[in-house]
Amino acid sequence: MSKNTDSNQFRKVDVDEYDENKFVDDEDNGESQVGPDEAEVDSLIRQGNLMEALQAVLKNPPINTKNQNVKDRAEALVLKVLSAFKSSDIEKAVQSLDKNGVDLLMKYIYKGFEKPSENSSATLLLWHEKALSAGGVGSIVRVLTARKTV
Amino acid sequence: VKRGRGIWRSVWEIFPLSSSNFAFSSLSPSDSDSAPVPQRRACHAAGRSLSGELLLSGGGAPQQARGGGPVSPCVSVCVRDSVCFRVFDHVNAIPFRSSKELLLQPVIISRNDKEKVLIEGSINSVRVSIAVKQADEIEKILCHKFMRFMMMRAENFFILRRKPVEGYDISFLITNFHTEQMYKHKLVDFVIHFMEEIDKEISEMKLSVNARARIVAEEFLKNF
Repeated sequence: MSKNTDSNQFRKVDVDEYDENKFVDDEDNGESQVGPDEAEVDSLIRQGNLMEALQAVLKNPPINTKNQNVKDRAEALVLKVLSAFKSSDIEKAVQSLDKNGVDLLMKYIYKGFEKPSENSSATLLLWHEKALSAGGVGSIVRVLTARKTV
Repeated sequence: VKRGRGIWRSVWEIFPLSSSNFAFSSLSPSDSDSAPVPQRRACHAAGRSLSGELLLSGGGAPQQARGGGPVSPCVSVCVRDSVCFRVFDHVNAIPFRSSKELLLQPVIISRNDKEKVLIEGSINSVRVSIAVKQADEIEKILCHKFMRFMMMRAENFFILRRKPVEGYDISFLITNFHTEQMYKHKLVDFVIHFMEEIDKEISEMKLSVNARARIVAEEFLKNF
């Protein structure tokens, strides 16, 4: 007979943790990703070279970091670049991105929608429409099913 | 609330019993690239090969909504994408949130900071929550009462939830059962239609309230 029949500590064990089939996200080490380079992007915006700024800001997306600050900074930066564009230039800019770029852009657009400020939603809607025509419905589905968000 | 009839009528449109075809082919967007990798991973993790057939019922022309740009196609595409699901489990994944691999990313689409739509998808259901524009007190009251009216009759509405999600005014919960009984594209169209009509309905109600109040006040003050 086992000694501790009185003990009900077993009730505190979370059995689901030990389930072999339990799905765990791949924990990539994302410490090295710092997000797009602010200084570079700012200087490109000031020079008026918006296409380059867009490319620069979509580099090094902070996908894997757990640090929320990095993600917030990256998002603010992207939003700045997107609002700096004139409406007529948006289409060209989207065309210049490759497929992964368009997907990343979509992720940022949806992230931007979460914190609407006065005019951001209007620009974001325009960008969304153009990105949709470039990336197709697949890009939206990829945003919905992505496990690692920007 | 007689004004709400417009919305009710469109509910009946989506009812014809139809067994939607769940023949699954791999999710391929309109251009030619292969099935998205993250999604495949999530599928394998869920233990089944989840591929959905995207119902693209023609890309509608963007309808100019009020304010900044076309929200409707934005929302409709999102809802349409998340409405592709099948029977996985009889438990709705969203309210219970039991397994991480069954949930999609929640997505918000906002026109400004007062009006937004939250779309949370999962493997067998999708929850669409709408925050309606309420500019002043009377619109707030009207909106609240209108939503309450509908939510109290949520059983007959099928896809409506009895309580809205925190921060929003009304929520729809569309499950695989619903998509089995009702046309998917009609469901999506209904939600879009709802969003567009709700603003109009509330403005109409406000106008009639003001008109009635004016008449009443006139009549009353005639005595003096």
